[in-house]
Amino acid sequence: MLGFSNGSGGGGVGAEDLAQFQATMRAIELACSYIQINSNPVAAEATILSLHQSPQPYKACRYILEHSQVANARFQAAAAIREAAIREWSFLATDDKGGLINFCLGYVMQHANSSEGYVLSKVSSVAAQLMKRGWLEFTPAEKEVFFYQINQAILGSRGLDVQFIGVNFLESLVSEFSPSTSSAMGLPREFHENCRKSLEQNFLKTFYQWAQDAALSVTNKIIESHSSVPEVKVCNATLRLMHQILNWEFRYSKGGTRASINVFSDGIRADNAFSRKTECVIVQPGASWCDVLLSSSHVGWLINIYSSVRQKFDLEGYWLDCPVAVSARKLIVQLCSLAGKIFPSDNGQMQEQHLLLLLSGVLPWIDPPDVISKEIEEGRSGSEMIDGCRALLSIGTVTTPVVFDKLLRSLRPFGTLTLLSMLMGEVVKVLMANSTDEETWSYEARDILLDTWTTLLASMDGSGGNARLPPEGMHAAASLFSLIVESELKVASASATTEDDADCLASVSAMDERLGSYALIARAAVDATIPFLAKLFSDHVARLHQGRGTVDPTETLEEVYSLLLIIGHVLADEGEGETALVPDALQSHFVDVVEANNHPVVVLSSSIIKFAEQCLDAEMRSSIFSPRLMEAVIWFLARWSFTYLMLVEDCNLGSNQLQSLRSRACLFTFFNEHNQGKFVLDIIVRISLTSLMSYPGEKDLQDSWRNLANAFANDKTLFLLNSVSQRSLAQTLVLSAYGMRSSDASNQYVKDLMAHMTSSLVDLSNNSDLKNLAQQPAIIMLVSCVLERLRGAASATEPRTQRAIYEMGLSVMNPVLRLLEVYKHESAVIYLLLKFVVDWVDGQLSYLEAHETAVVINFCMSLLQIYSSHNIGKISLSLSSTLLNEAKTEKYKDLRALLQLLSHLCSKDMVDFSSDSIETQSTNISQVVYFGLHIITPLITLELLKYPKLCFDYFSLISHMLEVYPETLAQLNNDAFSHVVTTVDFGLHQQDVDIVTMCLRALKALASYHYKEKNTGNSGLGSHAAGHTDPNGVFHEGILSRFLRTLLHFLLFEDYSTDLVSTAADALFPLILCEPNLYQGLGNELIEKQANPNFKTRLANALQVLTTSNQLSSSLDRLNYPRFRKNLNNFLVEVRGFLKTR
Amino acid sequence: MSDEEHHFESSDSGASKTYPQQAGNIRKGGHIVIKGRPCKVVEVSTSKTGKHGHAKCHFVAIDIFNGKKLEDIVPSSHNCDVPHVNRVDYQLIDITEDGFVSLLTDSGGTKDDLKLPNDDALTTQMRSGFEEGKDVVVSVMSAMGEEQICAVKEVGGGK
Repeated sequence: MLGFSNGSGGGGVGAEDLAQFQATMRAIELACSYIQINSNPVAAEATILSLHQSPQPYKACRYILEHSQVANARFQAAAAIREAAIREWSFLATDDKGGLINFCLGYVMQHANSSEGYVLSKVSSVAAQLMKRGWLEFTPAEKEVFFYQINQAILGSRGLDVQFIGVNFLESLVSEFSPSTSSAMGLPREFHENCRKSLEQNFLKTFYQWAQDAALSVTNKIIESHSSVPEVKVCNATLRLMHQILNWEFRYSKGGTRASINVFSDGIRADNAFSRKTECVIVQPGASWCDVLLSSSHVGWLINIYSSVRQKFDLEGYWLDCPVAVSARKLIVQLCSLAGKIFPSDNGQMQEQHLLLLLSGVLPWIDPPDVISKEIEEGRSGSEMIDGCRALLSIGTVTTPVVFDKLLRSLRPFGTLTLLSMLMGEVVKVLMANSTDEETWSYEARDILLDTWTTLLASMDGSGGNARLPPEGMHAAASLFSLIVESELKVASASATTEDDADCLASVSAMDERLGSYALIARAAVDATIPFLAKLFSDHVARLHQGRGTVDPTETLEEVYSLLLIIGHVLADEGEGETALVPDALQSHFVDVVEANNHPVVVLSSSIIKFAEQCLDAEMRSSIFSPRLMEAVIWFLARWSFTYLMLVEDCNLGSNQLQSLRSRACLFTFFNEHNQGKFVLDIIVRISLTSLMSYPGEKDLQDSWRNLANAFANDKTLFLLNSVSQRSLAQTLVLSAYGMRSSDASNQYVKDLMAHMTSSLVDLSNNSDLKNLAQQPAIIMLVSCVLERLRGAASATEPRTQRAIYEMGLSVMNPVLRLLEVYKHESAVIYLLLKFVVDWVDGQLSYLEAHETAVVINFCMSLLQIYSSHNIGKISLSLSSTLLNEAKTEKYKDLRALLQLLSHLCSKDMVDFSSDSIETQSTNISQVVYFGLHIITPLITLELLKYPKLCFDYFSLISHMLEVYPETLAQLNNDAFSHVVTTVDFGLHQQDVDIVTMCLRALKALASYHYKEKNTGNSGLGSHAAGHTDPNGVFHEGILSRFLRTLLHFLLFEDYSTDLVSTAADALFPLILCEPNLYQGLGNELIEKQANPNFKTRLANALQVLTTSNQLSSSLDRLNYPRFRKNLNNFLVEVRGFLKTR
Repeated sequence: MSDEEHHFESSDSGASKTYPQQAGNIRKGGHIVIKGRPCKVVEVSTSKTGKHGHAKCHFVAIDIFNGKKLEDIVPSSHNCDVPHVNRVDYQLIDITEDGFVSLLTDSGGTKDDLKLPNDDALTTQMRSGFEEGKDVVVSVMSAMGEEQICAVKEVGGGK
């Protein structure tokens, strides 16, 4: 026995052992002190590691823990116990398992008053981990014994220190059982899941009650005393434990499904979509927790203890930031987000009472806002106020705006929304006053409060415009919004002259999110905010005109810039691939407006368009429209036109609210085809043209234009025909053909559009002096442009225009090959060429008939051949490492394009819209792709596979090929075959889980193909699998044997993610079936290597069980794979522990 | 070496060695002339003077002949000089003892004014391929009056 089973008695230690323990202890102590003074740390670490890895180091560790004077040595001893016990757990005797845990627990209790807290928390976390390791084996009675000790400790019968230790242990235990914080044990996820379930259902609530009891036991002492007392430490620990327990992701107590409360019946929300966005976690422990959290006046106690101690230490500013205050506030905030089945279905009354109680406790932290913010500016800590904001956020997350607003009314003459608005107003004022860049409390408070608004308002925004804020709330929102706009503009004008482009870019997404929240606030009170924005905008434009030529407009320009961004967000949502609708709030308000010209949204939009139109005038352009302002203008127009321009009204008007139909109708029809639409469209197109031609070299600007062009794609406009070359332009233009009435017309249109480009390529390639001509810069430019356009057009392939684009590609096939030859040194052109072909093939392939497919495939083959003939065996001058890297990157991009081409070719077998039946399929795609692989694999070096994207593309192609067409692999010649196999072997040793998974799938495909073929009497992989003897008489074993060896070694001795185990099982199973003899041999070898006879038998049994249990049979059917997976999992759990020990 | 090369400039055929291109349109991987040297651009970044000013491009580029790093800042709407960089393939006929090579031109003449490059891998490949009697094709890169062997490839043959 290990000397642990008999409680604390350590009497059985012999003299010899004693001497050895002392030696070990001294070695470890020495190593620890060396590490501390950093002398020869490698050797010292090796000493410590050897203790961790030695078999059964428990007695030595125990000796060190009990006798060493060096705290670090004790720490390491505890760590060693953990390592060894987790590793050897499966063959420890039951008594020893319990003994180890008891020893650890006993140790911490005994040394509870020790000053080296980190040793104690290490030992107690070791106890927690071991407890979890054995959780599913221990009987309830055994657990009872452990927890009896803990409970006694927590009740305080053994003094404050022990009480603290007890609470501390529970904290480690809970964190060990919670999936996100648990430590790895080399066990399947199922184990962790079972532990979590058991703890949640049987213990969690009890722990919480214990924590409550412990906290109650010290409450009076804390409240009565006038200075800090040791009880505070215990109290803090219990508060932390409660916080942690409530943080648990409750799963099993919600009555089966993840059912949430009914949104409509009780006014309480449960949409997790928005809580995800904020950091606010909703606590949903389920109905059984009602007694602990709600009916036991727990909340009252918490608020009471916080407020009474707060009052007592009111004068001492440090108190707000001391740990117990922080933990108490955290717990209060957390209780604010309590929701779910814990509240009975009583129309939310209970929850309202609960929230009201909390709000009354939180109120002194934030109300009155002006006083509080003044105090903080004068030096008081802001943490309490920020926690107050968090509490509001939590409450906002679990309630609707109406309920939220009502809460405060019983305590104050105004609603919660007004308080929120006042509070945020104060924060914004502080932000405006000190516009320094450093992060202050006001930034944090603003973000939290903004989140609160977002959570409250987002629910309304999606409700079809039915929900509205109470009038007072609307007023609050409106005044807050104007304050926000004022502050944003102030920030803008202050930053107008600074040159911090870099951090602008970094904060763009944060800014975007903030503007989104502002827009929600504005939309909550559109009656006031839209006219407000319209007035503000026209004021600024007037100011620009007044000062033209005399005053430096930069500050005003920046303000207009910000204003455009804000208005853009308020008026329209981001499309993101869907059809953007006019925001509900804008549709459903303004009921009394009948005249379109008076509709506030129309007024605002028109004034901006009118302003934008002025950029058409060259003089205005130079004096007002700076590139940056133009960016905002174009951005606004893109966003706006996507939502408002040329609306197809009937699909938007189908909804159920008829009351505001007229105002909606006039908003909708104003910018459509028969009204102002054409006119506005014309303006926007001319603005786009101007921006393209007059702002050369401004990359950002052109990007925004591209977005605008895309917004046009669905309109039936041909205005842009005579425009500048751009890929997206071509794409847009080709896409615009989609809007035409008949498919003939679309095809004709595309043909006309692209004809002069294809003919220019054809003419060029037929030129007799091509070789010299091609090197001229103007020609290179022309070719690049045309290729870009062709690529744009190709990527815009739609069923309707497919014919025309196919013909377009067909006509340039020969020119493309000739150019590939001519430009072999011009890598930029080559890349464009390849990309064009890739996009074209991708767009076309699935539509092509058999004979067309053959043409395309032949073309691709010649392309591949020419490319590889230029690049195989070429060595380039390496003048500098930078240039060499450049060259490598270019190569990598080319190869990646080629791999994509092959993958696209593969897809023909999967997706095929051609009219031919499968039988007439004349070309065998797999052969073609293999042939392609043949050509390009010599170019793919292991060096190049270090580029992650290339590596990914390559292996996904390989694993796809092997899974779908294993038979063609067998037909590959020896070189190509071994190249593929080498790369798979290389891929198996990659770090990336995805790559390894793909390689394992490839292996599975290979092995199962071979096995199935063999069983039907075919040769399968033939000589590749059988192995061969080379002329020198050396036997080379077949690839399957090699992979079996590699895979076994990988599984048993290497580190990998547990996610890989099932995929590895799928590959291992057929490999074993293919090579049963080798597998036997390897197994015997492993067994022989074990010195320990105990391990020998265990390993032999495990190997036996691996291939026989679970009714595993030797056929590769659907049933056997999961069985083998399960077996392998058990096998690894059983033996990996001691196999990895050396 | 570059001084010597500059003497050749005047005696060149008269065709322009460079052509103009807008700075904003020069991409990473393209060519540019900085301080009279032909370079390959390895990094482009743009910056602005003040938020409402115009953009400037900052180029980091490597001299294509000697591998030195050069930098330049140009307003994005201004023109830059871009060198004509040509690459021509020749068959290798001979390697002389003093390190010069003899190349076969398209018109059937020979070109004998080039030295072996300073790159070991490249030289070794050329020598071994040549000694084994393989057909060795070298690419010669020329720009702004300078020439250099930049790549080599065996196309077959041999004993």
